[in-house]
Amino acid sequence: MASDPALPEAAGRRLGSGAWSSGLSVPDFASCLSMGMDPVGFVQGYAVMQWSWYASSYVGTLGGPPAPTGAGQYSESWQCPHGFVGGDHRMYGFNYEQTWVESNWTNGWTLAYQRMVDEAEAIGAHGIIGVVDDMHHLSGTGAAEFQIRGTAVTVPGADPPPRPFTTFLAGQKLVKLVEAGFVPVSVVASLASVQMMGYCITHYQMAGTTAGNWSGTMSGGLGGVHSITQVGKAQRAARHLARERVRHQLGHDTLHGASLEQFDHEVGEGDLAIQCLIKGTRVRRFKDFDPLPVPDAVVRLS
Amino acid sequence: MSPDEQPVAADDAGAPDGGDTGGPPVALPPDASRRLAELEDRPGHKGMFTSDLSVNEFLLVKEAGFHPLGFVMGSSIYHLGIQTRRWSQSQELAKLTEAMYNARELAMNRMDAEAMELGADGVVGVRLDVNYYEWGSDTAEFIALGTAVKAEDGRSYRNNQGKPFSSDLSGQDFWTLMQTGHVPLGLVMGTCVYHIAHRGLGQTLRTAGQNTELPNFTQALYEARELAMTRMQDEANALDATGIVGVRLEEKSHMWGDHTIEFLSLGTAVAKTDGEHTIPVPHAIISLDG
Repeated sequence: MASDPALPEAAGRRLGSGAWSSGLSVPDFASCLSMGMDPVGFVQGYAVMQWSWYASSYVGTLGGPPAPTGAGQYSESWQCPHGFVGGDHRMYGFNYEQTWVESNWTNGWTLAYQRMVDEAEAIGAHGIIGVVDDMHHLSGTGAAEFQIRGTAVTVPGADPPPRPFTTFLAGQKLVKLVEAGFVPVSVVASLASVQMMGYCITHYQMAGTTAGNWSGTMSGGLGGVHSITQVGKAQRAARHLARERVRHQLGHDTLHGASLEQFDHEVGEGDLAIQCLIKGTRVRRFKDFDPLPVPDAVVRLS
Repeated sequence: MSPDEQPVAADDAGAPDGGDTGGPPVALPPDASRRLAELEDRPGHKGMFTSDLSVNEFLLVKEAGFHPLGFVMGSSIYHLGIQTRRWSQSQELAKLTEAMYNARELAMNRMDAEAMELGADGVVGVRLDVNYYEWGSDTAEFIALGTAVKAEDGRSYRNNQGKPFSSDLSGQDFWTLMQTGHVPLGLVMGTCVYHIAHRGLGQTLRTAGQNTELPNFTQALYEARELAMTRMQDEANALDATGIVGVRLEEKSHMWGDHTIEFLSLGTAVAKTDGEHTIPVPHAIISLDG
């Protein structure tokens, strides 16, 4: 196992040593043992990706061409009702999917994930539980690092699956999932990124001012409550794209423990980069649900 | 020093007490001995214990068959000297690694010495902190704190090195671990201070405008983390552990700038107790709290 060519040399050395290591907390470790799983090693995968925002500059301030998008990708445009007013007046607004961000994120995450699974396979694991992932920018390098870690486990007496299963779950949550009649298949994750280049109306709305009396396009007065159409559409598009991709990864299985995070970064005055990240564990039913015993009622003393 | 070499802090102090940092615990300061003596039960003096355990932790430590003896600590103020690094080369800064390792070992050995003074079998809830003070540039204080405990059944739970086990487990985790048929052997750690190379102009130009993997960075960070974890596992193997639970990997640049990072891996080495052990079946509960 220590000489597996797919692994970094240091990883081979570590995984070949005697004691197993586990990132599980003690309660999760106890649950793991009670389910008949043995931890066999802490496994990890990393990938550092160059992260260029080269395509994020605004392309249509004064009526330039809309941002380039490919077939099937999300894009929308808006035109201001005022005509030419001045150099800083945004005549056009665009929402468009940033495929370069999405593909870079997918490549980095998948590389790190595969490396973690490679480590688990090298030690004969049946699965990886308690997976945690992270992505952060490395300060001063123009690069971002993807990290994925988990605890590799075996199920003594069981045949090894073709590929180790992976799950974000561990401990009592994993126990409850199996009690409910499901087994984990793999972790799934998807990021969608939409760039919003606001036009003048969006800028006014985001600044809390109104162009209602001027353009007649807004119903609210100064300080009124109203939805900002362009931002709302960009956010909905990002969520929809991420959801659809996760759905595609699931096949006929179910998503368990889904989390949805949305990040709105201001990339310029009135311009936003909106990212939506959905993660969860793909699970498959293997038995009917056995009702749990009636729970004991307890009062905590702390 | 070549033009791309930069100085960074490294150990030039050695062990402050001149002792072997991996060797037996050092003598206790007089104040510590006095404080610990007040905790001991002896003829004519009723002892008492101090601990940083919460009430629930105290209850579960007792339930696990241990009694708290006293709050113990060890510290080491360490001066980190100079080590050169190459601007364009990813490399481990071995002297710095050694300094960070030795300083923590000193603090932990002193904590162990206090625990041994109390006749403890182990130390639970160990916290390992690093503090920096304005009065000492390139100087850091490493502190180890925990609660010394002793088994009530009279068995010795000391590890194969004759020292009380140490563990960063809470009282709850300690009880749970014992229920699984495992005992803690020691808090194990591995560290690696690594310099991540800066990218040269040529490398930057070759990948300009591309979103692509940077294999050199990946490899360097991978190597550094694996080294830290391997060293942690080596410590566990030296204790004849069967495993390590609660492994965590911390990354800090301390005072060295963005490209020099300490990777610290920590966990509690455990061993299976003899004989068959049945793990209690968990009960489903409904909390009546709001």
